[in-house]
Amino acid sequence: MAPSRLGHVMRRLDPHPGEWIDRSLPLGFTFEGREYHGFSGDTISSALAAEGVTYLARSFKYHRPRSILSFANHDSNVLLCVDGVPNVRGDVTPLIAGMRIEAVNTHGGLALDKARILDYLGRFLPVGFYYKAFHSRRYFAYWERLFRRMTGLGQVSLHAVRRATPKRYGFCDVLVIGAGPSGVAAALAAARAGASVTLVDEGMRCGGSAVSHAPLQKLIDEVYQSASISVRPQTEASGCYADHWVALVDRVRLTKMRAKAVVFATGVIEQPAVFRNNDLPGVMLATAALALLSRHRVSPGRRIVMIAANLEAYEACLALSAQGIRVEAIIDLRSQQEALDADAEMQNCAALGMEILHSHAPYRAIAGPDGAVCGLDYGPLDPNLRVDSRKLRRISCDALLMSVGWAAAAQLLQQCGGKTRFCDSLQQFIPDELPTGTFAAGRMNGVYEIAARIADGERAGALAAAHAGHGRAGDAPVPRSTRRPSHRFPIIDHPAARNFVDFDEDLQVKDLENAIQEGFDSSELLKRYSTVGMGPSQGKHSHMNALRILARARGISPGELGLTTARPMYHPVPMKYLAGRSFHIERRTPLDSDHAAIGAVWMPAGNWRRPEYYARTGENREQSVAAEVRAVRNAVGLIDVGTLGKIEVYGAQAGIFLDRVYAGRLADLRVGMTRYGLMLDESGVIVDDGVVARLGQEAFYFTTTTGGSATVFRELLRLNAQWGLDCALVNVTGHRAAVNFAGPLSRDILQPLCNVDLSEAAFPYLALREACVAGIAARLLRVGFVGELGYEIHVPAGRAHELWQALMEAGRTLGLRAFGVEAQRVLRLEKGHLIVGQDTDGLTDPIEANAMWAVGMKKPFFIGQRSLKILAARGPRQLLVGIEISAAGRLPRECHLLIRDGEIAGRVTSILRSQTLGKAIGLAMVVPELAASAGELAIRGEGGEMIAAKIVPTPFYDPQLLRQKAVTAA
Amino acid sequence: MKLMVCPLNGPRAITEFAYGGAVRPMPDPDSCSDAEWSDYVFNRAGSPGIKREWWCHIASGYWFIAERDTARDIVVGTFPPGARDAPA
Amino acid sequence: MFTRHDSLRPGYEAVIIGAGGHGLAAAYYLARDHGMRDVAVLEKGYLGGGNTGRNTTIIRSNYLTPEGVRFYDESLRLWQDLATDFDLNLFYSTRGHFTLAHTDAAMRTMRWRAEVNKHLGVRSEAVDAAFVKRMIPMIDLTCAGHAPIVGALFHEPGAIARHDAVAWGYGRGADRRGVQIHQQTEVTGIRVKAGRVVGVETTRGFVATPKVLCAVAGSTPRILDMLGLRTPIYVHPLQAMVSEPVKRWLDPIIVSGSLHVYVSQSARGELVMGASLDPYELHQTRSTLDFAESLSSHMLDMFPFLGEVKINRQWAGLADMSPDFAPIMGITAVEGFFLDAGWGTWGFKATPVCGKTMSHTLATGRNHPLIEGFSIDRFARYQLTGEKGAAAVGH
Repeated sequence: MAPSRLGHVMRRLDPHPGEWIDRSLPLGFTFEGREYHGFSGDTISSALAAEGVTYLARSFKYHRPRSILSFANHDSNVLLCVDGVPNVRGDVTPLIAGMRIEAVNTHGGLALDKARILDYLGRFLPVGFYYKAFHSRRYFAYWERLFRRMTGLGQVSLHAVRRATPKRYGFCDVLVIGAGPSGVAAALAAARAGASVTLVDEGMRCGGSAVSHAPLQKLIDEVYQSASISVRPQTEASGCYADHWVALVDRVRLTKMRAKAVVFATGVIEQPAVFRNNDLPGVMLATAALALLSRHRVSPGRRIVMIAANLEAYEACLALSAQGIRVEAIIDLRSQQEALDADAEMQNCAALGMEILHSHAPYRAIAGPDGAVCGLDYGPLDPNLRVDSRKLRRISCDALLMSVGWAAAAQLLQQCGGKTRFCDSLQQFIPDELPTGTFAAGRMNGVYEIAARIADGERAGALAAAHAGHGRAGDAPVPRSTRRPSHRFPIIDHPAARNFVDFDEDLQVKDLENAIQEGFDSSELLKRYSTVGMGPSQGKHSHMNALRILARARGISPGELGLTTARPMYHPVPMKYLAGRSFHIERRTPLDSDHAAIGAVWMPAGNWRRPEYYARTGENREQSVAAEVRAVRNAVGLIDVGTLGKIEVYGAQAGIFLDRVYAGRLADLRVGMTRYGLMLDESGVIVDDGVVARLGQEAFYFTTTTGGSATVFRELLRLNAQWGLDCALVNVTGHRAAVNFAGPLSRDILQPLCNVDLSEAAFPYLALREACVAGIAARLLRVGFVGELGYEIHVPAGRAHELWQALMEAGRTLGLRAFGVEAQRVLRLEKGHLIVGQDTDGLTDPIEANAMWAVGMKKPFFIGQRSLKILAARGPRQLLVGIEISAAGRLPRECHLLIRDGEIAGRVTSILRSQTLGKAIGLAMVVPELAASAGELAIRGEGGEMIAAKIVPTPFYDPQLLRQKAVTAA
Repeated sequence: MKLMVCPLNGPRAITEFAYGGAVRPMPDPDSCSDAEWSDYVFNRAGSPGIKREWWCHIASGYWFIAERDTARDIVVGTFPPGARDAPA
Repeated sequence: MFTRHDSLRPGYEAVIIGAGGHGLAAAYYLARDHGMRDVAVLEKGYLGGGNTGRNTTIIRSNYLTPEGVRFYDESLRLWQDLATDFDLNLFYSTRGHFTLAHTDAAMRTMRWRAEVNKHLGVRSEAVDAAFVKRMIPMIDLTCAGHAPIVGALFHEPGAIARHDAVAWGYGRGADRRGVQIHQQTEVTGIRVKAGRVVGVETTRGFVATPKVLCAVAGSTPRILDMLGLRTPIYVHPLQAMVSEPVKRWLDPIIVSGSLHVYVSQSARGELVMGASLDPYELHQTRSTLDFAESLSSHMLDMFPFLGEVKINRQWAGLADMSPDFAPIMGITAVEGFFLDAGWGTWGFKATPVCGKTMSHTLATGRNHPLIEGFSIDRFARYQLTGEKGAAAVGH
């Protein structure tokens, strides 16, 4: 009997109880520019199939037409571009009205794809072909451009807008992954024991792939009624991480679930048979056909041939027949003897007129003029599992279903450390060692009959609840199936190949065999060389068959080879869900709005933002910075230094503690005085600096660099825990604001605001006073960082604004300017002060930084001391020196190199033109020979021009420190 | 994500903690040789195994000792610094 | 491509532990350039299964120290001809490499590296944000407002390659010249007599040899424990992830230290992405969700249009870190025992030059001049390399 129409056509059938579509809600959409209609409840693939669209996509490599295979979230051949979103899976994506859908990976549309020529060239493109050709230096670039045009699947829209999708955190006693019979039973058992349960499934509804089973439906109803079970359909468990931390991805967001116990009821994934043209549209898994039919009422075809190797094949045929779909023939790979486990079902099928052929196998599917399947050549199977091509018979059909076996969906279980072993009788990997708190149930466990699956779920659910502290449970295992649900080698050789093992990557049997022949003969090597399992479906349909091919070639069992490592993600996850809302730390000092009000131009400093300078109308950046510097040198300036780390240390041994962590001597610091402190690491490298003040006999207050404050404080806490000295540390960085009020007029302006005597005699250089400034309790530190008479004023953060306004007001008519980080850099460089991290690098010690004046080598111990002794004996590898450039013209920039005799002899670490001094000054890290020579040197500037400079002593400005010490005349 | 039990704050996600490296006894800087000192400063026991380490609960600034199996990614136990039950 | 050997010989002229890129490259050059063919490469897992097959395949020579630049630049030169040497397409694709700077301090470091590179004849340039935008027009220069890009180090020769193929090429070349590669063969001990190596114990029996090269990355400390040798090496996992293939849109390789991202698009169309080292010691290649989360977030800061692109797979390798971010190579205190370690996160690009220099060192018993700065005794001498200088500038 000839088919009514050549080729494969699906269509929508009449309504049927239990269907998932809502025929009262038709949805219009376009595919490749043409208008179609589906119903609410359709997926994209089911709607297109119902409209008779034969094929939905082109394959990755050969651009062969492809359509539905699994209809279970593994159809990575049907990746679509939907409203500009690339690589959307048609089989599971719900249809929405108005969707604009295009095929991906075509050159000129699905039907006329120019790249389909690759299918004919394919025999010239064996596996590893790409490694063997086009690698000459001359042609590679050209060839790569070509290659990159062909690869890549979907197109990213460079104008897509970022949508922040907030994440959620979830907590439960028992997480059950998979809502098939065993998962549903596990959830109920755990809930009954008193556990809070979350039940997730990637499908639209509970029940898994099992269809219309009355006892199961009753359990599902119970699950929905249970107050302690949260059911989350359309939710993928994408990754299982340490300590039961599971990534759940639904159609809106990522939920990070922390469970006390996890039940893996993830089931099995139906596997395809491998034979020539097994990828034609119309060739699909039996579970796909059943789901299409019962959920969406899409008929898989009018004349169906089933390729069978298990009981499920016959059950599927009966189910199809019950819904009015005609099954012509069942081609069973097994002998009648081997098929006895389906004896009753076979008889029923035969009674319905289906032709049953045992020990037969498909040899090749035949494509009709539209590219879809229209027939099958099949033949008897010999004991070596080869088809005798001389005894072929042809049968016409418009759909070819495959039910030959299953692979355990053990990927999630493996991700969290579960081990599997191969079970020869089941021809399936089953869980072997499970990490604490994880349990497996159902078909993944090798339990196939529905009542047994429910029992196995109940067992696992009760165990999981007990692990989470709810109830007690014994572990009486549910026996595994004794029948054989999976064929041991559903793979048929064909001299002309096109018998696809991996649909994602278009890999055929011979591709794998050739790779094995070349020595890529372990699971991992075979995967990497052939790329089997590397595509979007991550081998869910290809790993088992590839393993069987490898095992046959090596003459061993698949169990001896083992699976490749399973890694997250189980299904690919859009980056927007993983990214969520984007959080970044930005710290602002309490004076932030005061800065903004007077034109602050911001720059980042660690996590903080700080004013680089204050812009004023009529001034450019350089002019503003210069004016700020002039104000400090000639009148007074005010800078926010609140980003410095600020730490207090209290206790009888506080002084001893600081003596051990700072290189300089501090224990002898007098109360009311301050001292510069240099901090080293154990290898003698400078890591931080600051000012240490003694508040009292047992109290110190000190600052750290802005960038180092958090790490320095944390390390000091550790040292305090380790040494156990009698002292305690408090980080007051956020509690306290600080400003530096500096310039020759600073004392005169500050005195009227302040309740302590600021005279030189009463409050000398480097002293500290607790005082009241503008009515605010403050710590005043006489510091000299910018080289003028000046006071650091530290106040509670909440009073900073008042202080700032009072100082600004007091200095308003006297030339006061707020100054920013850039002016401070100028001022400090004029003084020759180094900045840790800019003028020092990751290996600079105090000898090299010319900072031994701040080191007390005679102390009993400080961190870095012992290494410094070794470094002193080794001698410096570089030295920090002052440099000066007298010539006008372009300056070198920081990090430009010093060149001597054609060799690198150092680098500029800081440089700028000092208006105060009328010349360019800087610091440079140079080789010791050069430092000693004190002569002329050459710097290679921008564009390679050589700039003459000379080494000069520092400080450049006021070398006797008269100004900061406020000595009136020298 | 790994959980770690802070002796002060109870079980917390490991991202709340900072790793402070292995607990390493310092040789006497006055009596040890340069070679012994540089060995202490630079060299590490890099093989996998159960390690005694410094960990800090960042938010509370609390340092403690953890014993961790670095081969199997398991926190064996955590102890306050200097606790009597902390293994030597 | 490879020969499967049923048994080990009783002895070899040299034994190389580790059939990753470095070990196989050393075997290849020993056989090809030094006439040493009686060599066994012992691998406890499978060929190229360690960091060779787990890295993000970036090849560059824009280092900071002259010794680093010279070493990696020689490697880059060797890379150019490998495909022809092997008769194997390594997909060596010169893409240009951007190290983005988001602060003035970072920009200073970029300039430092550019100046050292140019001085040594390596094509690197400190470029401004406008240049970055011209070359990568789709990038969000403000990085979502969090970390505005102020400039970059642009390294024109920056390239990517098909990492596995490098191991196969060296492996096949060595195999064809008589080197025996033994997979699933774990070294369990090293026999030393009077300070000299005499052989190695393996899971398949004892093998006599006067020379052993250890090229095992994250397993280095375990091998060194067998000899009582101490090093500063510490092992942390380094993770990576890859997206589904999408059509070509990104040519250059992009690295941002501030955002902890490096990314390139492979010939197949996948985005290959990595971030910084995991924060604590671990000898296990588990993946973490927070890695995928933060890397995705930072990717979207730079490329906000990628929200719908899906992450296909994440994985990890074990990085054998050294304190100065430079390798530890060459002869050791045990005569006949040679080390190629401390490769941290930077080992793949060095594969050819490591093979070259280690084969020379093994054959002659003397450190190759290019690796003199990387010797194991530099720590005791406080002569660390300055490579960390770049990384330590945090302000």
